[in-house]
Amino acid sequence: MLTGENIVQSVAGLLNWVYSQLGISALAGFINPIISSVVMFGFISVFVMFLVWMERKVSAHMQSRIGPNRVGPFGLLQTVADAIKLTTKEDVKPVNRDKIPYYIAPIIAFVATFMGMVVIPFDKGMVVQDLNVGILYIIAITGFTVIAILTAGWSSNNKFALLGGFRSAAQIISYEVPLVLSVVPIIMITGTLSLTGIVEYQEKAGYWFIFPQIVAFLIFITSATAEANRAPFDIPEAESELIGGFHTEYSGVKFAMFFLGEYIAVVVSSAVAVTLFLGGWLPVAFLGFLHLPGFIWFMIKLVSVIYVVMAFRWTFPRLRVDQLMDFGWKVLIPFSILNILVTAAVWLFLYGKGAQ
Amino acid sequence: MGFFKYFKNVFSGLWNLLVGLSVTSKYFLNFKAVTTQQYPEERLPLPARSRSMIKLIYDDEKDQFNCVACLMCAKACPNSCIKLEGVRQADGKRRMTTFKLDFSTCIFCGYCVEACGFDALTFVSEEYENSVYKRGSLLQDENAMKWIRPAQPASPEAATTEAAAPAVAGA
Amino acid sequence: MTDLLLSQVKVGGESQFGTDEYVVNLGPQHPATHGVLRLIVKLDGETVKETMPVLGYLHRSIEKICENRTYPQCITYTDRIDYVSAMSVNLAFALATEKLMNIEAPARAQWLRMIFVELQRLASHLLWMGAFAGDIGALTPFLYGLRERERILDLFEMTCGQRLTYNYIRIGGVMIDILPEFVPKCRAFLDYFEPKVDEYEDLLTYNPIFLERTKGVGIIAPEVGINAGVCGPSLRGSGIACDVRKQQPYLYYDQMKFNECIETAGDCWSRYKVRMNEMRESVSIIRQCLERLEPGSFEAKMPPVLKAPVGSEIYSRIESSRGEMGVYLVGDGTAKPWKSKYRCASFSNLYVLDQLTKGWKVADIMAVLGSLDMIVPEVDR
Repeated sequence: MLTGENIVQSVAGLLNWVYSQLGISALAGFINPIISSVVMFGFISVFVMFLVWMERKVSAHMQSRIGPNRVGPFGLLQTVADAIKLTTKEDVKPVNRDKIPYYIAPIIAFVATFMGMVVIPFDKGMVVQDLNVGILYIIAITGFTVIAILTAGWSSNNKFALLGGFRSAAQIISYEVPLVLSVVPIIMITGTLSLTGIVEYQEKAGYWFIFPQIVAFLIFITSATAEANRAPFDIPEAESELIGGFHTEYSGVKFAMFFLGEYIAVVVSSAVAVTLFLGGWLPVAFLGFLHLPGFIWFMIKLVSVIYVVMAFRWTFPRLRVDQLMDFGWKVLIPFSILNILVTAAVWLFLYGKGAQ
Repeated sequence: MGFFKYFKNVFSGLWNLLVGLSVTSKYFLNFKAVTTQQYPEERLPLPARSRSMIKLIYDDEKDQFNCVACLMCAKACPNSCIKLEGVRQADGKRRMTTFKLDFSTCIFCGYCVEACGFDALTFVSEEYENSVYKRGSLLQDENAMKWIRPAQPASPEAATTEAAAPAVAGA
Repeated sequence: MTDLLLSQVKVGGESQFGTDEYVVNLGPQHPATHGVLRLIVKLDGETVKETMPVLGYLHRSIEKICENRTYPQCITYTDRIDYVSAMSVNLAFALATEKLMNIEAPARAQWLRMIFVELQRLASHLLWMGAFAGDIGALTPFLYGLRERERILDLFEMTCGQRLTYNYIRIGGVMIDILPEFVPKCRAFLDYFEPKVDEYEDLLTYNPIFLERTKGVGIIAPEVGINAGVCGPSLRGSGIACDVRKQQPYLYYDQMKFNECIETAGDCWSRYKVRMNEMRESVSIIRQCLERLEPGSFEAKMPPVLKAPVGSEIYSRIESSRGEMGVYLVGDGTAKPWKSKYRCASFSNLYVLDQLTKGWKVADIMAVLGSLDMIVPEVDR
């Protein structure tokens, strides 16, 4: 049967053969991660293009419109056309910008979010680098985006951009807390920080964590949406107040990198949600007869979660900045702490002291 | 805020979010709800009364414009965008010689068409793509505005109902 | 430009940190200011210290132009005073002129006027609902609002040939009688439209985020509202009965059964709720008008050139979609008004913006501005 593990192993075998032919087998440990990262980069670029198309189609049909349908079949190549437009258009820059931070910011925004993809297991063994501190790594690395946004807002010498940068800093720092706290129960139950390990635990236990941990799931999705600066938490770029927020002064390729970064952040947070709460590559129980490979299951779940995030964006109004803080600190954090306590108590009661 | 009220608020809030999501999801799943008209391919016929382009009626049989240059349209125009001249012909009747309508200042209020007592000006609903590349092209003269009324009325029902309309009761 | 602005602003606020004021220009080109309104906002961080509207970017001097146009020609200009609710302004001018010249429009024309003005109110409120939701960050209601508004505009276009600036309600009647298929089509639209209002309410009214953004925000105290001349749905949100249709009925509104929609809180949510309820009331008014529409002439017999008596003077008001729409005319015996003045609801409603936003956040400016249902051409004229 076709599984992600088989694919990875056969590709690795092929690569090893190539290395042995070239006589560079000693370098395999160095080259392999590079190759897998490049493959992941290619995949994520194509997937993000699909997501942008999907977002436009989803929003269009929610608003009884058609959406892009001119370029390619069903408008699928619309994003490619947009990308070409963005790369070829004039790069308009404010004169009094801080040159170096202005250039670095979009790169940080893009790289920081992309690095989160590295530890996502698409299937058993189908992961660029299975870190044993996977969750910690993702939370740490996606926190970098705040630096990018703050830098972008500050360096572009625009009042709206600066306001957007400040808002973003406040928002991402506040929502990091419930995000981490919502993951804690899972770590308590499984006793591992590795994403692969968490999925394997769910496979062994026979249930997904969304069922015992529905509260954690809701908190995670909410804070992840806020982390990715998506509506209804898109106050850093609230177009009705701040025009474009932190990327007001960006155009062309630099804007595209912010845009790409936002979507990759959505993918990363949804992928983590799928891994932690929806059983990663495990098949859906009552559809198990389909015998699809694990990574297909993973993608189906991923797209479903992303659809929910998109539906949020196109349904809900935007919170105000102080209400956003209130919501984070007064609703999400108490609930997640309560969730940790309840989970700990229940697990202690069920499995006794020291179990798991 | 009381303890239970806090939880009640959180859950009623969640419920109302779901209600909102159900509305958008309903439209997302109902692909027939699309209302977009894809313009260059789908051209909807405008209603017969549509004020989309002003035309000068040209009488094909008599080989002349109906206009007699009575200047009623120019007087009725709020923006003075109609300029026309006429001469008295040998048979004693006035005939329009030049007619200029500046569509860049025309607001399509319809006063000129209403003021015309000689069936010389009309709105044509078929032509509604009025964009031009140069501003000068908006200043149209009688040749550009020449329009020959089709032998049959464009929509016979419309013409008949038009006449019968005042007699129709409310329901 | 910056220097000019800073010279107007006293730098160094009373903030406890001794920080400078942050002066932001919202508009005239800004995605959220409807049209070309410019707001100079002084901020302390995110908190608004002062909001100063700068008007005049859409000033077309309509009042003065009208003094050089004949009375019928003026109606084409009234279309452009408030192009989102052009029928109402048409009606305001037509009623004022009729009173000035003692013209009585026939009954059928009056019923038609009521139908079209109420349809226009629906269209205007729909656009407002979408724009307001968009200001708050929900983008989907805008498309829903426009979708239904298109159907109303189709009804208008079928009848008078235009979709935005109708020039339909004339002195002494209307421009042209409705087509026979108008009545069934209008009924069909009302049947289609009524459940849609519930749908918008599902989407917004009790959405917790929407409630957070609008409840308690931008409260117009009743006395503040009256002193500032706030009118229309914005004042009815503060619990004051000020609907001209009820207080000083014109047309046949005294024969209609409808409720004056009043909310008491005075915040953005109340103003929103008033307008949503008004849509339902308008639907019921249109239904009653369609029932009672009687055959007859649609135009009064009038002299070919309309002249107002020397020294005649009139102030006539109606309830437009945005509030009290007043027209003041002075005649001097010629075919042109000696003086014309339009009292527009948006202008007086805008006056309270500074008071409503002081101490709130930047985002609340947009919520309050949206809830006041302000149209820039009506402010600038």
